[in-house]
Amino acid sequence: MKSASKRNSQIHGILMFLPYFVLLAMWAIYPLALALYTSFQPSRTSPSWGFGNYLFALTDFRFLPAVLNVASFLLLYLPAMLLVVAGMSLLLDSIRARWTVPLRLLYLVPATITGSVAVLVWYFMLEPTFSPIKDALAQIGWTQGTDVFNKGNLVWIFALIAFSTGAGNWIVIQYGSLQSIPDDILEAATIDGANSWQMALRIKLPLIRKYLVYMMILTFAAGLQIFVEPYLLSSIPSAPGVANSWALNQLSYELAFRGTNLGAATALSFMLLLVCVGLAMWVIYRTDFFDEADIKKKKKVRG
Amino acid sequence: MKKKWLGALAMAGALALSACAGGGASTNTAGGSDGEVVADAEGPKSLLIWVDAVREPACLAYTESVAGEVEVTCEVVGQEEILSKIQLANQTGQGWPDVTFDQPNNVAIYQDAANGYSLNLSNYVDQDIIDGYNTSNDWCLIDGSYYCLKNDLAQTVLWYDTVIFDELGLTVPSTMDEFAATALELEGTGYSAGAIGDQGFYAGYLWPSGCPMVNVLDPATVQINADSPNCSRVWELVQPLVDAGVLDTRSAFDAGFIADVAQQQKVAMHIGPSWWGEFVIRPPDSWAIPEGRMTAAPMPSWAGESTNWSGEWGGGIWVASAYSEFPQTAAEAVVFLATDPDMRADKVTFPGYQPAFEKWRERLGADSYYAADPTEAMVEQAGKIRQDNKPVRYDMQGQFGLLNGGINGGSSLEESVRAYIDALTNLAPAAGYTVTE
Amino acid sequence: MTNVGHGRKRRFRNETPASGLKSLSAKTLQWIVLLGFAVFSVVPMTWMILAPSKTQPQLQQDAPLSFGTFEGYVTAWNNLALFQDARILQWFWNSVWYSALQVSVATVVALLAGYALAVTRMPLQKPLLIITLIAMIVPQVAFVLPIFIEVSQLGIYNTAWAIILPGTFYPFGVFLAYIYFSTTIPHELFDAARVDGSGEWGTLWRIGIPMAKGLIGMLAFFSFQANWVNFFLPYLVVNSGEVLTLPVGMGILFSQTPALNPGVGANALPIRGPEIALAGLIVTLPILIVFLLSSRVLVRGVLAGAVKN
Repeated sequence: MKSASKRNSQIHGILMFLPYFVLLAMWAIYPLALALYTSFQPSRTSPSWGFGNYLFALTDFRFLPAVLNVASFLLLYLPAMLLVVAGMSLLLDSIRARWTVPLRLLYLVPATITGSVAVLVWYFMLEPTFSPIKDALAQIGWTQGTDVFNKGNLVWIFALIAFSTGAGNWIVIQYGSLQSIPDDILEAATIDGANSWQMALRIKLPLIRKYLVYMMILTFAAGLQIFVEPYLLSSIPSAPGVANSWALNQLSYELAFRGTNLGAATALSFMLLLVCVGLAMWVIYRTDFFDEADIKKKKKVRG
Repeated sequence: MKKKWLGALAMAGALALSACAGGGASTNTAGGSDGEVVADAEGPKSLLIWVDAVREPACLAYTESVAGEVEVTCEVVGQEEILSKIQLANQTGQGWPDVTFDQPNNVAIYQDAANGYSLNLSNYVDQDIIDGYNTSNDWCLIDGSYYCLKNDLAQTVLWYDTVIFDELGLTVPSTMDEFAATALELEGTGYSAGAIGDQGFYAGYLWPSGCPMVNVLDPATVQINADSPNCSRVWELVQPLVDAGVLDTRSAFDAGFIADVAQQQKVAMHIGPSWWGEFVIRPPDSWAIPEGRMTAAPMPSWAGESTNWSGEWGGGIWVASAYSEFPQTAAEAVVFLATDPDMRADKVTFPGYQPAFEKWRERLGADSYYAADPTEAMVEQAGKIRQDNKPVRYDMQGQFGLLNGGINGGSSLEESVRAYIDALTNLAPAAGYTVTE
Repeated sequence: MTNVGHGRKRRFRNETPASGLKSLSAKTLQWIVLLGFAVFSVVPMTWMILAPSKTQPQLQQDAPLSFGTFEGYVTAWNNLALFQDARILQWFWNSVWYSALQVSVATVVALLAGYALAVTRMPLQKPLLIITLIAMIVPQVAFVLPIFIEVSQLGIYNTAWAIILPGTFYPFGVFLAYIYFSTTIPHELFDAARVDGSGEWGTLWRIGIPMAKGLIGMLAFFSFQANWVNFFLPYLVVNSGEVLTLPVGMGILFSQTPALNPGVGANALPIRGPEIALAGLIVTLPILIVFLLSSRVLVRGVLAGAVKN
């Protein structure tokens, strides 16, 4: 490539990238720096600069319960996602393509019901007075709203809401990933006498492994940050305030806006951020997911 | 080289911006939060008023009354959210409402210098308005000045169904021990002595008993003690009633309770606030109790107490903004919303302001809905709200989930109360209190 | 990878030599599971579509998936419109124009940035790509508190811009565009264009964009979905009801009306189950419609599909 056109490419490349770069600086880099800065500032509970806010957040009486809540939520939610998404997408892949189209559209429908609407809908799905499955609920002895919406069941309810919102979407996506498996491999396996069970488990599954891992990472990161569902569920009359400070983000919000302690709130936020960033770095550097992006290898010589 | 340049630029930009980061509360000058009186700004007056859904009609009435002079915007906001939204506004230095309705405890948080939202109404409101309250506005009295006006008094009384009492030959209890005995007599009859899975338990049992939860001794000390006998006598008395099934662990607003118990006219008695009749017992969408059955009696007294104390469930407040451009007008709005006799006469709540109360009492007196005049008991209890619950600078309202959720979920009363009190004990120090027993 | 015809692929995928021996019960089981999941997926939405046609007592007494009357919808709407003078329309309009702005800006910016990363000789490609990947994995919710502080520093607190601007940051879009441009378009095409003398912009205009129709559709779709349903950020950065979006408005209806919270105002507003279900429909129908319209794009597969033509 001639150096003049190289220069041209450089300058215009920068210009093209610039709008995104401005947004990146404004909405990712700067907030990160701001979170860090505010978390070290003196606050009501940490009179001087330093780690006081972190200490306060970590030792708050609601912190550990919130960690346990989110941890048990993730322990329910993630494996369910993995099993169901992997299983369903493989199942989909084993039937005629034509028939998968309406099924895939149906599976996508719950993905439109998120956040506040999800809480609304699932309240009506689960409150025994209104529920379509009220007979089934009665079998387990749940005839009242408080039987369903109490502290012990919260983890299950939130996992259910998160699952119903996310699973369908990911099934469709993973089905798409399955389409990228080259035919020669499948042909070869068929010739070798593999039945569909073995095809699914031994051939297809390992080949989409990295997409599944990517899904788990994103699901984990989003799950860690759960806020809307517990926040809104707390306003339901069957169990008012049942899920206050249930999630870590709620605690952050409470610290900031009910406890006048922005320092501690940002400290907590920042810690959550760090976990997500750490996760992201791990995915990038330690897995092969982004190999196609060629970032670990040297840049290809072009032209 | 170019790489380094770009990188440095990004970092420099980030650092430059973060140097501007103030964090913490804004430096807006709060007009009337100390002793000064600030005049309204020049130009056409406008007010932003936050209300909950129940108070929206009052706000609209005010809008009408000042049409042409003041432009009023009534914004419906969740009761539970007003505190956080005010804090949000504090953080950003803008967006405060000129007037807001709020839950009673928050006045202490607003009066706190770290917050500074509430206008010192003593400087703006006529003395006769204050006098018209007698002692009913003392809740809003902090450090010698009034920082809010009470929308209503929500003193608890003993609501009971005269028909059921006649049927079973019961007498109205005058002590808590009698209350428990009467409740146990309901066992097996299918009738209920009320629901306690909501704030009614706090207001009607814990507070009148004097369980120390928010007992402010001085601005830096608060008494919180779950081991006090005033607390244990509550769960010792009430737990057997729950176990016997005569007290319901659901909230009185729970759909199941309303459908299965209340609307079936099975509530024999219920310790509830003064607004219970108009807001819960009467409306067809709620308990829908027929005419001529319900009335209110004074609170039963706890053993060894010389007074039959009440607690309060609600008793919301109106607060004016110290950051308002039109503090005089804001104060006037507060006065109207809290005290205007005509407007208040048809509301469900018991006005604390005497002239408004007279009109309200008139309306209720002429109303044949109640079996007997409930306002007598209410008037008696209005002066008997136990004084060792005060507004505190920590968010005691937001922790009710621990208390109510525990009861709803089947935990013992003792566990639930201790969990709640534990949370308060943890929150108080961060708000600048030392906790004593 | 070879671009294999759709039909031929199908044959190998699910017709193994052993498939003829696949027992009837295994196949039935398969279909039961697939259909069962479809039912699970569709029931909540069906409930929500049918609910406004009933009245509150009917919601309790009739079968949950029964239909009421068509008048029910009209009544539900009239009641809903009583809340703060048809505030829901304001929220709807806000959601629409905020999303429109966000999607257009985010798509264009992501397209440009992805192209620049993939095709041009801009510097610092690797570090910027890594930062984008990290930003992609960390959800926006993690930044909400510092964004709140920033928004007030910028003086846009409580304005539409506080919601719109953060929504234009679209690292996932940049990544998608990057993958697309670097793997689907043969470099020879670009080199040829350069030899022809057109600069990067010309190449983008004449080659990049025409070949990226599918990509643009996908970018727009995901950006729309993420922005329309966003709750936490708008909730924090906007205080005034008139500026809020549908999802947050939904939350207000939740806690402020007797629909789910009888303690609020049993006799104040006639907003109950049917009305709030109608509100839920208003929030979800636009996305549902967009989903259905973009179904072709979606079911092709995103992750791997972005890689293949």
